[in-house]
Amino acid sequence: MIWPFDRPALPQLDAASDARRSALGRQAFDLKQPLADMRWCVADVETGGLDAQRDPLLAIGAVAIEHGRIALDATLEVGLAQVQSTAAANILIHGISGSEQRAGQVPHEALLSWLEFAQGAPRVAFHAAFDQTVLQRAEREQLGWSVTAPWFDAAIVAALLFPDAAPHCRHLDDWLAHFGIAVYARHGALADAYATAELWLVLLQAAQRENLATAHQLRGLLRARRWLSAH
Amino acid sequence: MSATLPLANSLHRATFDMLRRQAPFAAMGEDAVLWLVQRLSVAYFARDAVLLEPADAPPDTLFIIKQGTVSGATADGQTVLQLAAGEMFPLGALLAGRGAANRYVAATDTFCYLLSATDFHALLGESVEFHDFCTRRIASLLEESQRAVQAEYALALDDDSRFARPLASLIRRAPLATRAGTPLAAALGAMEAARVGSVVVTDEAGQPIGILTLKDVLARVTLAGVPLATPIADVMTPQPATLSADAPVADALVLMARQGIHHVPLVRDGRLVGVVSEKDVFALRRLSVEGITAAISRNEDPVRLPALAQDIGDLVHSLLAQGMDAENLTAIISSLNDRLTERLITLECAGDEALAGLRWCWLALGSEGRMEQTLATDQDNALIFAATDDAQRAALLAMARRVNHRLDACGFPLCRGGIMASNPKWCLSLTGWQQQFTQWIDHGSPEALLHASIFFDFRPLAGDESLALDLRAWLNHAAQKNPRFLHQMAGNALRNRPPLGVMRDFVLSDNDAHPHTIDLKLNGATPFVDAARIFALAAGSPQTNTAKRLREAAHALHIPDAELADWNRAFHFLQLLRLRHQHGQQRAGQTPDNHIDPDTLNPLDRRILKEALRQARKVQARLAMDYKL
Repeated sequence: MIWPFDRPALPQLDAASDARRSALGRQAFDLKQPLADMRWCVADVETGGLDAQRDPLLAIGAVAIEHGRIALDATLEVGLAQVQSTAAANILIHGISGSEQRAGQVPHEALLSWLEFAQGAPRVAFHAAFDQTVLQRAEREQLGWSVTAPWFDAAIVAALLFPDAAPHCRHLDDWLAHFGIAVYARHGALADAYATAELWLVLLQAAQRENLATAHQLRGLLRARRWLSAH
Repeated sequence: MSATLPLANSLHRATFDMLRRQAPFAAMGEDAVLWLVQRLSVAYFARDAVLLEPADAPPDTLFIIKQGTVSGATADGQTVLQLAAGEMFPLGALLAGRGAANRYVAATDTFCYLLSATDFHALLGESVEFHDFCTRRIASLLEESQRAVQAEYALALDDDSRFARPLASLIRRAPLATRAGTPLAAALGAMEAARVGSVVVTDEAGQPIGILTLKDVLARVTLAGVPLATPIADVMTPQPATLSADAPVADALVLMARQGIHHVPLVRDGRLVGVVSEKDVFALRRLSVEGITAAISRNEDPVRLPALAQDIGDLVHSLLAQGMDAENLTAIISSLNDRLTERLITLECAGDEALAGLRWCWLALGSEGRMEQTLATDQDNALIFAATDDAQRAALLAMARRVNHRLDACGFPLCRGGIMASNPKWCLSLTGWQQQFTQWIDHGSPEALLHASIFFDFRPLAGDESLALDLRAWLNHAAQKNPRFLHQMAGNALRNRPPLGVMRDFVLSDNDAHPHTIDLKLNGATPFVDAARIFALAAGSPQTNTAKRLREAAHALHIPDAELADWNRAFHFLQLLRLRHQHGQQRAGQTPDNHIDPDTLNPLDRRILKEALRQARKVQARLAMDYKL
């Protein structure tokens, strides 16, 4: 059958990157493993602004949790080279100087590194919708394709498992303070991803105490709660 | 830092920096720490979660506490240790390749760094500092603490700060003062009696209006032929230069040099509070063991000995500053105090005809008997004599009473429990002592055991030491053939547990007099002292010194050298901490004691203190094993 529309052309990549993109292929996510054995990818992004649809992605930080442990050697910290550096105002938020921004990796390579790092693992972020939107948009722009992975929002899971603390805890800092978790450098992508990962370790323990055995069950509970609060 | 770690990402750098803030990573090479960082993982343990169970197989992981508290409990559920951020476990099991003995539970929500056993052993091979720390844990912590203390005292020793001390710190006695109308004869008599070089003349408000020094007497009284009935006001130097007692020592130096005077009255609110002489100021300069020993042996007048006792305290400060270890330091304090006591006894006996030809021996008991005196030491002494009649015994008691009071004046307070040679109960013949000791050994009551713990550390100090040696030989024999007594002593010793806490690091006193403290003597040093005494009595050893007793016992009981070394280091750290604490109190004008608030210690000393108390438990465990308690 002849495809009736022009298939959007994949951006031209060099041969090595093209091979990497192909290798990522279709990914399966097994959410029915025991929570304690899951591999998770905890991520945080830095952007040139707060508009997930428009502002440029500047850096990705990610750490992996395997068998309930954060391995320090397997961590991702990558900046994306910018054609133009972003407005000075945002530099104040993120503390990445103009020269650092431009000094990052070529964007499509940075995104390939991210996808390879996260491969097969459900993603975790604090206020995950933002990170998810920014990353998927950048993946589409740079690689012409994005991975549909399950995302878990640490902000929602924390509020679900610790309802008493939730009214006082809106931002990541609030939850970190609540659990006495220190951050070595706020607003760095990797530092925030790592702090979120420590928070996620706490939440995983709490989930198991609530007899949630798998990520699948956790997601089911999150959906039920969302339905309840929306109606 | 980024220059040395070009490949590290920000998380590695941050972890690196955090580890490098604490022992042993602070002392390790950067490469080794970075190597370590890349092999760590981080895990979370909610409160009450079990990190490690006792097992037969060697553990596969080293835990380094990142934040939180972990407690370790024995198989029977008794919490024996509490570990805080920066501490590692189970080192012993990993090093020895045996199963962990304790159960480790998160006492609070805890994050730990984990390192695989394979990587742990690789790091041991790679880093000398890490290897040293793990195998000689307490020793390397101590070295680090010692360096810090040396630095601190070196600052205090600096001449500038020494002369910045207030003049009040040099005042050693109430000033000799008199009124303007006092005849010269009375004033000079008072100077002679007090052995001072000047007398200050004050008005009715206590303000100095004149001074007369010994040097003035030569020119203005003797050579001028002034009758001794003349009022002092006629020959005194009127309106003498004075200084505030709060002025720095340096001011007195300047004033003396400028005006060519040797005595300066010190005032507070205009009233005379003391006099400093040039000698007082320059006495700050040099103190040595030889100097003090020589000064003591030259001294012909017991009234001057208290000043020498104070010199001993000053010497301790300077030796602490030079980083001398507690074993030598306490031995030096004890031997100088011995010389002082000996001198006092010699001086008191010299004029006493009733003592001529008597055989007796002055016994040092308690910490002095063990050569372990610190600065807060009251008297514990006794007398043993060969056959005497009642009159001779009364003469011995009278001499002892004079010596006890002289010692009191030298800063060794009279024993509140009356354990002094002047107490007729503790001034006995050889047979008297044997009867007393037998009664304690046979009786085994708490009081008898308490007395045994003080008296059985006796050591001859002055007089005929063969009397004491005979008693020692007899006692060792009597104790050895009485296993029941040693068993009771061991049981009694084990009742005093080192104050390691379950909920907190330390169990603090709920005593109103010393809230929020631990007693370094009773709960820290005493477990070692008690155990060492029992080991020595069981082995029939004549040693009274704790470290020496432990060394002898280790040989006889097949205790490994490394363990013995840790015991002695721990004991001496506790002694050093007592000395530092007491010295600080003395300088602040407080009465020295043994109560320390662990929160006032720096983090390193806190860790060593915990480690030392843990060693105290080990010594007790050994005692419990030997006596099946």
